[in-house]
Amino acid sequence: MHLDLDQLDRDAALRETAAGVPRETRKDFLLGTLAGGGAALAALVLAEPGKAASRTDVEILNYALTLEYLQAAFYTEAERRNALRTKLARQTTRVLGAVERAHVRALRDALGSAAVKRPFFDFGGVTEDEDAFIRTAVAFEDLGTAAYKGQAYRIDSPALLAAAISIHSVEARHAAWIRYLAGAPPASSALDEPKSMGEVRELVASTGFIVERPRTGSRAEPRFTG
Amino acid sequence: MVGAAVAVIGRGAEVPVAGVSHSLAAGLPERDPLGPPPRSGLAIPRPRLLTSGAAEITLWAPVRRAVAVHEAPSARADVTAHVPASTPERTTNIVVIAGSTRGERELWVPIRTRAATGWVPRDALGGYEAVETRLLVDTAAFTATLLRANRVVFRARIGVGTAAAPTPTGSFYVRNRLTRYRSAFYGPVSFGTSARSGLTDWPAGGFVGIHGTSRPEILPGRVSHGCIRMRNADILALARLMPVGTPVEIT
Amino acid sequence: MAIVRGIVQIEPQVGLPDAGICSEDGLEVRRSATVATRTDTAASRERFLRLTFAGAGTLTVGAVLAAGAPRGGLSGTSQARDVEILNYALVLEELTMAFYGRAVSGGALSGELLEFAGVAAAHEREHVELLRDALGPNARRSPRFAFGNAITNQARFARTASELEELAVAAYNGQAANLSKPALQAAARIVSVDARHAAWIRAIRNRPPASQAVDLPKTRRQVLQQLDSTGFVRG
Repeated sequence: MHLDLDQLDRDAALRETAAGVPRETRKDFLLGTLAGGGAALAALVLAEPGKAASRTDVEILNYALTLEYLQAAFYTEAERRNALRTKLARQTTRVLGAVERAHVRALRDALGSAAVKRPFFDFGGVTEDEDAFIRTAVAFEDLGTAAYKGQAYRIDSPALLAAAISIHSVEARHAAWIRYLAGAPPASSALDEPKSMGEVRELVASTGFIVERPRTGSRAEPRFTG
Repeated sequence: MVGAAVAVIGRGAEVPVAGVSHSLAAGLPERDPLGPPPRSGLAIPRPRLLTSGAAEITLWAPVRRAVAVHEAPSARADVTAHVPASTPERTTNIVVIAGSTRGERELWVPIRTRAATGWVPRDALGGYEAVETRLLVDTAAFTATLLRANRVVFRARIGVGTAAAPTPTGSFYVRNRLTRYRSAFYGPVSFGTSARSGLTDWPAGGFVGIHGTSRPEILPGRVSHGCIRMRNADILALARLMPVGTPVEIT
Repeated sequence: MAIVRGIVQIEPQVGLPDAGICSEDGLEVRRSATVATRTDTAASRERFLRLTFAGAGTLTVGAVLAAGAPRGGLSGTSQARDVEILNYALVLEELTMAFYGRAVSGGALSGELLEFAGVAAAHEREHVELLRDALGPNARRSPRFAFGNAITNQARFARTASELEELAVAAYNGQAANLSKPALQAAARIVSVDARHAAWIRAIRNRPPASQAVDLPKTRRQVLQQLDSTGFVRG
């Protein structure tokens, strides 16, 4: 597969015409394919007006936020480290990173002060080796899809359910996309299975990617030259 | 005309099917009992590509184990320096990344060292963190300027080293942040840098710090043993803006 | 030095499904083994609960009842809504099943498109079976379809497949909030794969498989009107 750039631009133009949004510059051709999808329309409602979000919903949003932090950091680092060989992998990483970062912002905005802090990550070279990166990206996207599926039915707020469902199918697309890139079957079974929070947390922990913050602060007396 | 029609069909144009199609929508009542989807509970912003170029982002990484720095990405290349795992203040040592990782089965990372760039194995380092800030220290103009994404967000007048103990010039970075210590000499917050003063025999290695002062009246000027001093209000403001890992350019 | 540390296992590769016995649509279509007469509420409730997944995190009957009435509940009215929605979904799945099945048996596809159609056909067949099984006697009859050159012309096939998969995703997303919890769980397992199909066919067509941060929902009216405009549904 190669991304046909003319097609990217044309799709963007059609979408933007429909949305009445000014045309992106040529330089941002990839950005031009990315649409906020209702950002202008949707008000920031966490639940019914006047009602606080349920504890379940806050828990689920923070769980989703952690996974999105992980994916966003993974793609962002891969892009910054600039270690991917093929142009297709690089283009894909830029787009996937942009989308996951948008998901992070959306969840953080909705949670406000209740949002979990961004963890520290150590990807241990995986973002710097194309084969390891692709395989891990496949795992992450499959995992993200299963994670959303595992929680959707538990969400109390219909508005949040609508949001979660509309993100869930994007994660499934990502999974198929990165599998296609990897030469793996984009959809290997007729039905995708959910994973529980426990299963997902265990799998994420097993990667060792989430680490403690490095200790760069101290109360020691300064002994600089002065 | 026929030729044109064939050409159109060849590109995949629709050929209408004979017979009458059945309308599914026609069966719907005026008001569909299946209501429309609720408005999304999340406002998802438009995805943005990374805008910062290499000039604005600096990556740093914690040091996992003391390691030798090699001249080239190979264990057989000459060793040019050693990187300890801890700073004299016993914080985790960090290094600034100088470029792309190299290697196939073994990854090597270029890091900034005092002389130039050196190479360490990837597994000697922890996870990368990105900073958007840069601190520019001008020892002639006695100013410290903090840029974030290339925009000035902080400026202060500073004291620098005397002629006998000058502040070193070159490219360095902030390694740690000290707070809640007793000494008022250094003000409320101090930053350790990778910069070494020219003073020999200094305990704790002679590293240059950026800190406050109990004697603001002598600023600006050549007043210190190499450290960069500023008024306490300024160092507090800087501390809110400057994360560890920020590169420091001293001219 | 180990480059890869703690990589999560990915699913083993799965080959193409067996062709099975060919029927008119080029696919073996298994009818539900249980020919059900009109059943009581408890039995049809059971059927819906069979929609849930097995294994860890199963929403068992006990769990549902212990949790009290879940959103949508198990009352008669939400069950009627589930029936309406799943029947609506069934039209889409029957359509794509027939579309892919006939395209495969029609012999006009080759290469990646043929591979895609074969895999997708088998998936849609399972979606149809799942929905028919859940609906039991409440399942609507299969519509009749005619696809014209959408299954004999490769370019049109690719375009149409993309349009249909996008439509399916928008349709399911549009109904998520209307479904009971068990039905939502089943629907999510289906739409996830339809979304994969949607990305896959876009990739085959050299387009970005996912160009948006969210997949916007469509109302039933919008979806049915779009289906009508294809002219594929014949009765």
